[in-house]
Amino acid sequence: MAVSADADFKTRLQNWIPKLVLSPSIAMMTVFVYGFILFSVYLSFTDSRILPTFGWVGWENYDKLWRLSHWETSLINMGIFASLYIVICTCIGLGLAIFLDQKIRGEGLLRPIYLYPMALSFIVTGTAWKWFLDPGIGLENVMQTWGWESFEFDWIKDRNFAIYTVVLAAVWQTSGFVMAMFLAGLRGIDNEILRAAQMDGASNWNLYRRIIIPQLRPAFLSAFVILSHLAIKTFDLVIALTGGGPGRATELPATFMYSYTFTRNQMGIGAASATIMLMTIAAIMIPYLYAELREKR
Amino acid sequence: MSQATQDTAIRTGRVTRTLIYLVLLLFGLFYLLPLYVMLVNSVKPLEEITGGGMMNLPQVFTIEPWLKAWSSAQIGVDPTGLKPYFWNSIKMVVPAVIVSTILGALNGYVLTKWRFKYDTILFGLMLFACFIPFQIVLIPMARMLGIIGLAGTTWGLALVHVVYGIGFTTLYFRNYYAVFPTELIRAAQIDGAGFFQIFWRILLPSSGPIAVVSIIWQFTNIWNDFLFGASFADANSQPMTVALNNLVQSSTGVKEYNVHFAGAILAAMPTLLVYIVAGRYFVRGLMAGSVKG
Amino acid sequence: MGFLDIDNATKSYGAVEVLHKVDISVQEGEFLVLVGPSGCGKSTLLNMIAGLEEITSGEIRIKDQVMNGVHPSNRNIAMVFQSYALYPNMTVGQNITFGLEMHGVPKPEREKAMNEVAKLLQIEQLLDRKPGQLSGGQRQRVAMGRALVRNPDVFLFDEPLSNLDAKLRVDMRTEIKKLHQNLGTTIVYVTHDQIEAMTLSSRIAVMNGGYVQQLGTPQEIYDTPANIFVATFMGSPAMNVVPAKVTVLNGRPHAEVALHDGSMAQLPFSQDNLSAWDGRDILLGIRPETITDMDGADRKSSNIAQMTNRIVVTEPAGSDTFVSMILGGQDVIARMRSDAEVAPGQDFMFAVNMEKAVAFDPESEMRITP
Repeated sequence: MAVSADADFKTRLQNWIPKLVLSPSIAMMTVFVYGFILFSVYLSFTDSRILPTFGWVGWENYDKLWRLSHWETSLINMGIFASLYIVICTCIGLGLAIFLDQKIRGEGLLRPIYLYPMALSFIVTGTAWKWFLDPGIGLENVMQTWGWESFEFDWIKDRNFAIYTVVLAAVWQTSGFVMAMFLAGLRGIDNEILRAAQMDGASNWNLYRRIIIPQLRPAFLSAFVILSHLAIKTFDLVIALTGGGPGRATELPATFMYSYTFTRNQMGIGAASATIMLMTIAAIMIPYLYAELREKR
Repeated sequence: MSQATQDTAIRTGRVTRTLIYLVLLLFGLFYLLPLYVMLVNSVKPLEEITGGGMMNLPQVFTIEPWLKAWSSAQIGVDPTGLKPYFWNSIKMVVPAVIVSTILGALNGYVLTKWRFKYDTILFGLMLFACFIPFQIVLIPMARMLGIIGLAGTTWGLALVHVVYGIGFTTLYFRNYYAVFPTELIRAAQIDGAGFFQIFWRILLPSSGPIAVVSIIWQFTNIWNDFLFGASFADANSQPMTVALNNLVQSSTGVKEYNVHFAGAILAAMPTLLVYIVAGRYFVRGLMAGSVKG
Repeated sequence: MGFLDIDNATKSYGAVEVLHKVDISVQEGEFLVLVGPSGCGKSTLLNMIAGLEEITSGEIRIKDQVMNGVHPSNRNIAMVFQSYALYPNMTVGQNITFGLEMHGVPKPEREKAMNEVAKLLQIEQLLDRKPGQLSGGQRQRVAMGRALVRNPDVFLFDEPLSNLDAKLRVDMRTEIKKLHQNLGTTIVYVTHDQIEAMTLSSRIAVMNGGYVQQLGTPQEIYDTPANIFVATFMGSPAMNVVPAKVTVLNGRPHAEVALHDGSMAQLPFSQDNLSAWDGRDILLGIRPETITDMDGADRKSSNIAQMTNRIVVTEPAGSDTFVSMILGGQDVIARMRSDAEVAPGQDFMFAVNMEKAVAFDPESEMRITP
């Protein structure tokens, strides 16, 4: 509210205080978020190694980056991981939500069980799955001692399959959350519509396919946005579960950036990879946030 | 999530229902499995695990692994156990949660009840900050912490978590205050209450639930963080998650799985406790985090 | 100079002007009602008086003090809100005294004022309760108590009765009127309910589209509406407005209107000046209660015209029977006594009290004044 010049002291004060109160947050955001983003993007065009240096090298870091097989591996892994993670989480989440919505006895017990992994650190999740999937002591060993001698499950040690164990652990952690999102969506559907559809003679299958699932569009959208952003940011889980290995078999862009910046002292290339990660997330989040905030006006 | 289990008008047959229960139970087991593995194996001697008994209940019950994980396991160079790192995490989490929640509450109040031009854009910028891949700020943040003398300290970590937590806390309070009747603010203005009096006397007393949501969310998130801890902490200020990872990944000596599992549970305990005590609020925060309420 | 002066007050949001040069002067002790459909600007005007919205241009003065830019709490006004806006975390007593507390009134005085007001409004037994435990009517009383305790120069009411059910609304209306009569306070009251406006006010400002359409006593507004908007907005059922033509017969202007079968009725006007409109089209305004049967016609009227027309529908409503017919090609409602013997399809002789009829210029939609 703009205040005219003839306003009394109290009115003017009341006009300034809100902005004053907001200013620390705005300042922090400006410096620590947007200022830092600009700085990192700038670094990606410099010859920085161990420490930031400011020799301008243009697109060289990006050129190098795209020629690194290491980066290529992490991108391919990202593709496999993100698509499987999003699809499986969505399927499990939707399925469990639909099943839980059938007036299930014990829903109050099951729901928290499905959701508790969200409260854990990825490091804890990674540790638990790391040893459970370890062929030496985990599932494989257990099955063999139980008498299934030929049982083999050593994906976590297999270059070609290790990335799927990351998917498994990540799905375990977040699919319950996706379930909760879909369940909230299902509970928000007007029951009269369902009654009307049943009057029209729709079978359960058709009821879900034609009436209910199409109404869950907002939940699908939210799930997709949240999952894809989590996928791109996945870092701790890989560190704890496989450490990026075996070899580089489970490297993701986040771990790539970390190792190039802090252990390989290629800060310029690290910054370039971070910039690409940011752009990818921005491409997903900005339209979504824009639409969300416009609706709420 | 809505607590009201309103009737869905769908009827299912007996066979279908049995199948549904079966599937639901199987998934229940799937989610419980790692917790079971961690719990059972954290109270076994090491031989029982390496001997292929990972899924069995302990034959010999021992709390030795817990004690070792807590106070004497080798982490980094010192055999200190996880204890000092647990306190590091507490020292980092408590101030960060308090400050970010207070700032979030004030921001939410301003952004809903004292609106001004471009406030939605400003909020959008704050919100986007929650979703950036933090890799993009790691390098400059490390420099900045060095410049202001907070590099390698728990205070530095707390600051980082405040900065990147404000977006979410603001989101919570903004959505909560958005449905708080504006007429109450106007009535209080006419009654002569100022900006802070309105906040303190009118808004805050009604903010209990959302404050709980915000505190729990921040607590869980900050406690569970690994990236910032790994990037900015030194050996003396590492939080629990980083220490746990060091414990598990250490390549020297015998792998003491039982100690690792005990350590993992110790690291998970605070957030798990919060989840058990106040799961309803945690889920609310989670759902609001998907922006749609 | 009045007690409260609204002087050329204008409100714009950006380039959009929502309130256009409003000019109203309220005398001390007057009960002014701002009435109009939603979005007409009445609440914006009230908020400008309260200081909750800024005045874009013009002036608002209370007791000759310019209020532009003065903080709401320093205007010595009190407001009763539509939702009552009771602070949910405070007791009724704390709600009532919060304003005094904020103005630094010491506790003993606050208690005394609170008790007086509680007694006046008969809410003494509620003082320790929270608003959540009160009924709608009780909340309404507390909200008024909060306004009264400040002893303000001007009371502002923002649709205070719209959240109450029909019966309670009538009771509270009477209550507010009593309060005004006993205390003699100056009140500005916003409502969209024209009956509230008529019953409560000493003057009404009818607003639409950001303009004050007419400012006057309830009787003036009802009998001599300034234009078609005011005529149809005030009164229920609404005034019938039908196309007619002025014809001068025997030196006297008549309204020529088409009956259901296309034949013409000639209804003599009481206003001679309408002769000037001879041969021109007008819009004829007749209130439902001025169309009756011959027995029910107003005995004091000197100008009862007769017209035979076919009844389309009858709607008995207990105290009255509403009869609809086709007149001037439109549906027209007549309000008859409940014992009137009418039936659909019947050709019936109506009595029209032409003394109360008004004529509008179809171009400008303004009433044609003598």
